[in-house]
Amino acid sequence: MSATLSFRNGLLAAVPTLRAFAVSLAKNADRADDLVQETLVKAWDKQDSFQPGTNLKAWLFTILRNEFYSQMRKRKREVEDADGAMTAQLSVHPSQEGSTDLADFRKALELLPEDQREAIILVGASGFSYEEAAEICGCAVGTIKSRVSRARSRLQEILGIEGERDFAPGSIAIHTTNVA
Amino acid sequence: MHDEKYRTEPGCQTGVGKGMKYQTEKKRDSGAQRAASDPLGPNSEIGRKLRQYYDDLISEEIPDRFSQLLSELEGEEQTQSATKED
Repeated sequence: MSATLSFRNGLLAAVPTLRAFAVSLAKNADRADDLVQETLVKAWDKQDSFQPGTNLKAWLFTILRNEFYSQMRKRKREVEDADGAMTAQLSVHPSQEGSTDLADFRKALELLPEDQREAIILVGASGFSYEEAAEICGCAVGTIKSRVSRARSRLQEILGIEGERDFAPGSIAIHTTNVA
Repeated sequence: MHDEKYRTEPGCQTGVGKGMKYQTEKKRDSGAQRAASDPLGPNSEIGRKLRQYYDDLISEEIPDRFSQLLSELEGEEQTQSATKED
């Protein structure tokens, strides 16, 4: 009983980050909420297969991701991109209209291929290690690393950010020094 | 607004502080290991923007439907186990 309660609380606590991941994948708030809902139901049904003490968040992300891709395959069969343009228009997130900087970044993210986008979100934002991200995506660690790296270069390109390969303090000065 | 304190694990915002023993994952940006050499670490503009983007999503208000859903699921289970015991 108390195991059930803490499982429930664990799910509830994970909802904000699950939603953030879902929005990043689906690019649409309504679809994202449906994904989270489906994830919670699935997780509840599979409760017995979760081992307490292991990473609940990673387990939930795996379920959500699988759900996303199986829905996508289904949708592709149903309507071959007929509503694709509309979905893109609906994808504006109300809270994100405020900052153009953030809006630009969001648009840039949306331009990435799915596999790169999810990789860079998992590692760079959701706080997973490369190993955990590889497990969530069911691929090799090296694959995640190269996807993250490609995603990063592509984002830099789109946003017009100079290469950040070298982190020597001197290279930062280039961006911060004003023209005197 | 996006100060360090704010960037805690999402659980803090849902008011379910008790019994969260599944929250085993480490805090993000766990210190030095995420620093200099990390291509998405604090020295990376992309890394910072990514976290800003994500934190912004995380801080959104969560619709009630999720806690309602969990209560329903929990309720169903209790009813089932009660009938089983009889």
